[in-house]
Amino acid sequence: NIDPESLLPKLPSPDELKPFPTVTAAICRGQEGRVRSVSIDPHGIFIASGGDDGFVRIWELMTGRQLWNVKLSDEDAVDAVQWRPGKEAAIVSAAAGENIYLIVPFTILSPDVEQNSRDVLDAGWGYAASKPSNTAHGVVVKEPPGKWSRPGPRLENKGVLVQTTVRSAVKVINWHRKGDYFATVSPRGQSSSVAIHTLSKHLTQLPFRRLKGIAQSAQFHPSKALFFVATRNTIRSYDLAKQELVKILQPGAKWISSIDVHPGGDNIIVGTYDKRLLWHDLDLSTKPYKTLRFHKQAIRAVRFHQGGLPLFADASDDGSLQIFHGKVVGDLMENATIVPLKILSGHKVKSRLGVMDIDWHPREPWRLGKRRKYGEESIR
Amino acid sequence: FQYLSEILDSSLADIRYMWTDSELKLEMEADEVIDLINALAELGRYGLSTLVNNLLRPEQKPIPFNILINGQFLRSTLQQFLTQHDLSSESTLDVEYTPALLPPLNVSSFEHDDWVSAVDVLSAASPAGGSSIASGQERILSASYDGLVRVWNTSGDVLATSSAPNNGGRITCLKTARWLSDKKFVAAGLDSVVRVYKYDEDTRSITPSVELYSHNMGVEDVAVHRPSNRILSASSDTTIALFSSSTKDNPAAPAPLLPTSTAASAKRQKLSKPERSVPARGALATLSGHASPASAVIFKPADPTVAYSTSHDHTLKTWDLPTATCVDTRTTGHALLALAALPHLHLLAAGTSARHITLIDPRASATQISVITLRGHKNAVVALDADPGSHYRLLSGSHDGTAQIWDVRNVRPSVGMAEGQVGESVYTIARESVGGGAAAGGAGAAKMHAHGEGVKVLGVRWDRDVGILSAGEDRRVQVNRAAAS
Ligand SMILES: [Mg+2]
Repeated sequence: NIDPESLLPKLPSPDELKPFPTVTAAICRGQEGRVRSVSIDPHGIFIASGGDDGFVRIWELMTGRQLWNVKLSDEDAVDAVQWRPGKEAAIVSAAAGENIYLIVPFTILSPDVEQNSRDVLDAGWGYAASKPSNTAHGVVVKEPPGKWSRPGPRLENKGVLVQTTVRSAVKVINWHRKGDYFATVSPRGQSSSVAIHTLSKHLTQLPFRRLKGIAQSAQFHPSKALFFVATRNTIRSYDLAKQELVKILQPGAKWISSIDVHPGGDNIIVGTYDKRLLWHDLDLSTKPYKTLRFHKQAIRAVRFHQGGLPLFADASDDGSLQIFHGKVVGDLMENATIVPLKILSGHKVKSRLGVMDIDWHPREPWRLGKRRKYGEESIR
Repeated sequence: FQYLSEILDSSLADIRYMWTDSELKLEMEADEVIDLINALAELGRYGLSTLVNNLLRPEQKPIPFNILINGQFLRSTLQQFLTQHDLSSESTLDVEYTPALLPPLNVSSFEHDDWVSAVDVLSAASPAGGSSIASGQERILSASYDGLVRVWNTSGDVLATSSAPNNGGRITCLKTARWLSDKKFVAAGLDSVVRVYKYDEDTRSITPSVELYSHNMGVEDVAVHRPSNRILSASSDTTIALFSSSTKDNPAAPAPLLPTSTAASAKRQKLSKPERSVPARGALATLSGHASPASAVIFKPADPTVAYSTSHDHTLKTWDLPTATCVDTRTTGHALLALAALPHLHLLAAGTSARHITLIDPRASATQISVITLRGHKNAVVALDADPGSHYRLLSGSHDGTAQIWDVRNVRPSVGMAEGQVGESVYTIARESVGGGAAAGGAGAAKMHAHGEGVKVLGVRWDRDVGILSAGEDRRVQVNRAAAS
């Protein structure tokens, strides 16, 4: 008789895989309604959040103290918030409805960082004017895919300096690591659902004339000129330089909610509304390398640690976050090791929406829960 | 005490105890000593403490004593101690007794309009004070998230409040404040400017004296050295800056850091109509080397040309100030958030994001990174201060909503892979604002949430005359003092 245990792969025990988050360290309270998106700044000292109340707020990470806020919209929730990468400037991007806002929260910045940030945002103002008319793929279109403008004195006085209006409500913002390009996803935007914006030129481009399926998320490859787009059922990778499709991943999901690319670029995690977390190894197959089913409700967000720790996390409508060890080895002969480490619960579930978004500290094993609940977020 | 050890040597062949008097001078009869020694093996801390009381202060109300064996607190019976430490009954033991610290009771609390991030004391015993500060005339300095510094008397009355700086519409949120002398103090916070203020006791007024510019992110901590008028600041921009508290000694301020340097900022500053202008200066030196936000900085107690700093980058760095160079880096396993020196022991205590305090020997000869680990907080340890009345005691403040008192002799050898020894706290001081008192060990923290929401402790100070001060998210400075014995 063979002991079935002996057939199982030998996994390290969670204790050997520290550090990983285990306790709630701080709670940010004050947002009214659901918080929909959170992001930690590149220095690891501020959290930006956006939520149902139309506000973007900035919090002190260590204490949960609210430092700054701005109301972007009376009607629309702030569905996406992301800090621009790079430490020389401090710029928050946020989306409410069809508008993407670029913000310099100067009240928490020193004069030189404020100036650097303003310079980054201002560089593109002349560009659109210097170009005759907007052409895409040689065809003159009636309306540019993105209209770059100043958002008006009320917002500008708060540091909201640039407004980019696209054709349909934006749900996802993801930056390229160099901080000049960012991608937005408007799931209901059909041919304009995925846009790539060039900050230095105040230019919005639509990379796909036709996209099969409804876009859910889009992300740049961390080091190569590749771009990933997730629709409800598939993930496609494109070569931006050659403008061609590279690969189609089939996670076997009914409805993808979010994806994240491993900092090494060769692995992708996928969260689905049908409660599954999938790990794709791009070198192995177009099918998932691992399927993890731990949540009772939809998974809303997935995120790799970006600062060198072998960790990833998901956030679910069941109100919990699951932390995993996910070690990627450079050796092609060896596959990633994935170990569930800890379930962090504590987010209250309201109207069946649990934890809406997550982010990792840029270096530490600290996770930002996001929250859900009326106005709290927790850092663990 | 010569005769005591002679008695011990001659009358007890199996266990030779050396009884050394650490803090009290003691006279006792030989047969009393023999009784004591015979009782030792069976007794624990309480029994021994009773014995010491009977011997030393037979007519007085007993006070608790701690018994130290080979420098560590006895927490079990002596027999168990010997077993735990793998000591044979043939070993020579150093036995000491020391009066135990009495529970620090809540004395008063000073209410603020916003979170209180730091507190400092001007007293006869404090470095900035001195004998000119009469008993009862001590002054307390508090720094608040509302951007203001306040000077208080010990009855809890505000004597003076600073006015908000004109910094181009920035959030000031103070993080730290320190007395430089009885007439000057320094404060700094989120707007990255280090400000020196004059305090006039007669008019009870605070006026800014110089604004020091070097950082481009928030300042988390400052240290002062009064005799040389030096100020150190630790910033989230990863650097440490060295300034003089005398305006003229500092070079000109770097122009891009001034709030008037950019059009947008200058316009905002003009709108707020400054009443007077405050001189602006730059740093004598900038210490770069940390890879993440710097959290705390101190001067080396015996040598103000040396500084120590901690950072979220997990390191403790030693700096040579005249050359502005990093001369040593100790890398720990966690982000470091607070720093205090225990000079008599040649140790530095660092508070970590991983809820413990690690004691580090910064001398080049040290081979271990962490000598002792103090465990008991349930959240990040963000504030530390040494007991001015003991070489061994330490006060910590944590985001778990407690301050805790530690004695580095209250330790046991660590089990498992951890380095060094592990200790637990002697007292936990909960926030009076939520009905907490002082409790032995970690007990006071039991009912608190680890995340300490609403009651995070942000700053602590231990002063011989005023007591144990802790400041926090509950908008209070809380003063605790051990009941007089
Ligand atoms: Mg501090």
